[in-house]
Amino acid sequence: MIQVSLSRIGVVALRVVRQLKRDRRTIGLIAFAPIVLMILFGYALSGEMSGVALGLVDEGGHPALRSHLEGIEDFEILRLGSESDAELLVSQGRLNGAVVLQPEEVRVLLDASSLQISQAILAAAQSGAQKEAASLQRPGVVTTRYLFGYDLEMMDTVGPAILGLVVFFFTFINAAISFIRERSQGTLEKFMVSPLSRVEIVLGYVLGFSLFTLLQSTTTLLVVTFGFKVPMRGNPLTALAVVLLLGAGALVLGSFLSNFARSEFQVVQFIPLIITPQIVLCGVWWPMQSIPEFIRPISYMLPLTYAGDALRAVMLKGSSLTEILFPDLLALAVFFLVFFAAATLMLRRQVD
Amino acid sequence: MGPAISARGVVKSFGQLRVLDELTLDIPRGVTYCLLGPNGSGKTTLIRAIVGLLKLDAGDLKVLGTPVSRVQEIYSKIGYMTQHKALYPDLTLQENLEFFAGLYGIGKQEREQRIVELLKMVNLQGLSRRLAGALSGGMYQRLSLACTLIHEPELLLLDEPTVGVDPRLRQTFWEYFERLASDGKTVLITTHLMDEAEKCRIVGYMKAGKMTAVGSPDEIKRQAGLKPHLELWLKDIESDCARLRAEGYEIEILDGVARLRLESHKQIKSVLEIVSPLDMRLKEPMLEEAFLQLSEAA
Repeated sequence: MIQVSLSRIGVVALRVVRQLKRDRRTIGLIAFAPIVLMILFGYALSGEMSGVALGLVDEGGHPALRSHLEGIEDFEILRLGSESDAELLVSQGRLNGAVVLQPEEVRVLLDASSLQISQAILAAAQSGAQKEAASLQRPGVVTTRYLFGYDLEMMDTVGPAILGLVVFFFTFINAAISFIRERSQGTLEKFMVSPLSRVEIVLGYVLGFSLFTLLQSTTTLLVVTFGFKVPMRGNPLTALAVVLLLGAGALVLGSFLSNFARSEFQVVQFIPLIITPQIVLCGVWWPMQSIPEFIRPISYMLPLTYAGDALRAVMLKGSSLTEILFPDLLALAVFFLVFFAAATLMLRRQVD
Repeated sequence: MGPAISARGVVKSFGQLRVLDELTLDIPRGVTYCLLGPNGSGKTTLIRAIVGLLKLDAGDLKVLGTPVSRVQEIYSKIGYMTQHKALYPDLTLQENLEFFAGLYGIGKQEREQRIVELLKMVNLQGLSRRLAGALSGGMYQRLSLACTLIHEPELLLLDEPTVGVDPRLRQTFWEYFERLASDGKTVLITTHLMDEAEKCRIVGYMKAGKMTAVGSPDEIKRQAGLKPHLELWLKDIESDCARLRAEGYEIEILDGVARLRLESHKQIKSVLEIVSPLDMRLKEPMLEEAFLQLSEAA
């Protein structure tokens, strides 16, 4: 029997807020962690890449450059009829970039929202052009066109994802520790012998933490957009919606995993297991194409992969809520629901 | 209205260990009932079984007339205080009480009134804005009790509620529990302190998962066959004792003091007709002795 009372959820939420509000250090962490993280991770490494989808529009004049590009193993070349086709596919995110070969000019179209791939494509085109120029005894001209029309900086691609990372990290750790405390201080047992249902406990937490997620994502967004000049082309509220859904997912994951820790100390040990893979595999610091293919299924199970993707889409491409619905928001929603169910089921009243 | 709690042949094992061993017990409504027993005798397990936190292996258990399998339907009528204090140290006293009141859907006006009343009862008035974590152990315990009482439960289950509470305040607690019982509420308390057990209307002694003796403190002493003793300081102890023994009294001499077993208090008068002691002292039997005797017999 599932009984849900909004007022009881509100009571739990209010309590969570009151507790966190009093914890100044945590509040400080909410505000400053994003800045520190951005400085730390702001200069990400570029890695070896594979599976870069590159469009090729060949209007003649550069056979050597073409075969150079075709010879690069990591590139998957798609031949296209016109530059406008290439433009469309790149802006839809279906191609990482495109090279247009014209007798007088070589133009490289790049997806501005993933820096390392852009650099790899550009580097490949330039080195091919140099080789060709050397053999033909004439200068090779390569011009670049960023499809979103601005100068790309590392922070632009990394900033949106940091927003997601910070929220995920903070909410996960705090939720797990809160639930551990509920257990160790005996309040959870007291809940179990009260009209409060398991669903209400978890929803109360989601609601209470959401307020802090909002606070945190707002400050982070301000730092990212004003401090690091990352554009905000879409609606900031859409970005906040993504972050809230991600935070809710982190909360239920934390609640669920708290069952497997006996102390706050052990919760901290989850960091390398839960947080680090998200950092490494979510396709932010190292683009998805540089992650070995056999590991990629893991990437596609991590919520930060989708949150990062959605946030970049909203902030850099100006995508609307409906445009990021599939797969990003859907994946985040599924993640939340799965762990919401798991967390609720683990709050069993009876022990055998 | 049946008993507040009725258990028939309740069994609960943890692995090989049988913590509740075909336990049978009835707790009538409107009493203070003390569950007494040594550590590990199963007191806490029994309480946790009553609130439905444990799955029973066998037996029949009813709480306020409701089978324990459906006890969650009557949680609003139960107040449960665990040995953990079950409070939020980072909330104030007021916030802790408000939170627990909220869980039971108590309206604001009633809540404020009850908070004032309860803080007074546990002698924490004026501290409502203090953080619970800043309280001493005994104060924390008192706040925990107040949180348990906030929804005026019909059945109170208190697991060692007076640990760390000073004797004077303990007295206040007991008076309050007595008052609740007179109002028809049932108060079940576990303790290992005999003097507390003496204050309950009914005492149940638990040993190895079974009830070995149940009754009012006086009944239990009678069951155990314990009698009061008269300690006599006598001028000529040998001859005085010989005279008393000749009249059929049982006497033993310990460290120069004659210890005379009384069948009833009336005998004191006739003892004084036989001897005139320098000093004397009446020793009532201790509940503790009664339990020792009863549990050895069981």
